[in-house]
Amino acid sequence: MRTLRGIEWPLVGWLVVVWVLLWGSLTAANVVTGLVVAVVLCLVFPLPPLNLGLRIHPVGLVRFAALFLVDLTVSGLRTAWQTLTPAPLPCAVLAVRLRCSGDLMLAATAIAVSAVPGSAVLEVQRSTATLFVHVMGSDIEEARDGVRRLETLVVRAFGTRAEIASLDAGGTS
Amino acid sequence: MTVLDWGSVCDWTAAVFLLLGAALCFVAGVGLLRLPDTLTRMHAATKPQVLGLLLVLVGVALRLRSWVDVGTLVLIGAFQLMTVPVAAHMVGRAAYRTGQVRGDQLVLDELDDHLTRSGPD
Repeated sequence: MRTLRGIEWPLVGWLVVVWVLLWGSLTAANVVTGLVVAVVLCLVFPLPPLNLGLRIHPVGLVRFAALFLVDLTVSGLRTAWQTLTPAPLPCAVLAVRLRCSGDLMLAATAIAVSAVPGSAVLEVQRSTATLFVHVMGSDIEEARDGVRRLETLVVRAFGTRAEIASLDAGGTS
Repeated sequence: MTVLDWGSVCDWTAAVFLLLGAALCFVAGVGLLRLPDTLTRMHAATKPQVLGLLLVLVGVALRLRSWVDVGTLVLIGAFQLMTVPVAAHMVGRAAYRTGQVRGDQLVLDELDDHLTRSGPD
C-alpha cells in the first residue's frame, strides 16, 4: 500500500472528471466524493509509477485530432465497402519500424493505428520500436506510409522536443 | 413563419447520424458473416462499428441537447476509442500465434520471419 505522497495526482484528477461526468452534475458533493473515491482507489490499487515524458502541443493536438477523425471516417467507409463487395481481399502483415522509441509514443501510435479501420497491430517489438500491422485490402506501401504519418502526428501532438527532432532527422530507418 | 427552426434542424441531422451509424454497425455484422478469417472479421467487428457508434453518439447528442448527457456520451466515445484497439490487439495477436490466419490471403507476411528467426522479446 502506498502512502499519500506516492499518489499520481493527474490520475486522481482524471478519475474525478470521470466521476463527475458519470453523475452528470458538477456539485461540491460530487467533486468531494469523487476525490475520496479516487484517492482510495489509487491507494488500494496502485499503478506502477510512470515516467511518461508527455508533452502536449496544442497545435499538434488539434492537427492530430482533425486528421485522425478524417482517417477514421475515410477508412471506416472503405472497410465497410470492402466488406460488402464480393471480391477476395488481399491482406498483408507489415513490419513498420518507428522513428521514436519511447514507450509512450510507441503505445500512442499503436492505439492510433489500430483505431483506424483496416489496420490492426498484431505484435509490438519494444526493443526496436517495430509495429507489426495487419492491413486489409489496400496498397502495401500506402499502408506503411499511413502508419508513419500517424506516428508523425502523434509525436507532434504529444512528444518531447528530442522526439520531434528525431522525426525531422528521419529516424533510424 | 420561421424558416429555420433550430430544434427540427437538429432533430433531422440527428436522425441522419443515427441511421448512418446504425448502417455501419449493420455492415460490421455482415462482415462477421462474410469475411474469410479471424483477422479480417476482427477488422469488420471492431472498425466500422467504432465509426458507427461515434455517429450514433453524435446523433443522440444532437437529439438530447443537454450538457449532462453530452458529458456521458463523450465518456462512452472516449472509452470506446481507448479499449477497442487493446481488445483488437489481443484478439489479433492470439489469432496470429495460433495459426488462425489464412496464409493464401496474405500477399506479404513480415511477422512470420520475425517470429521464426528470433522469437519475441
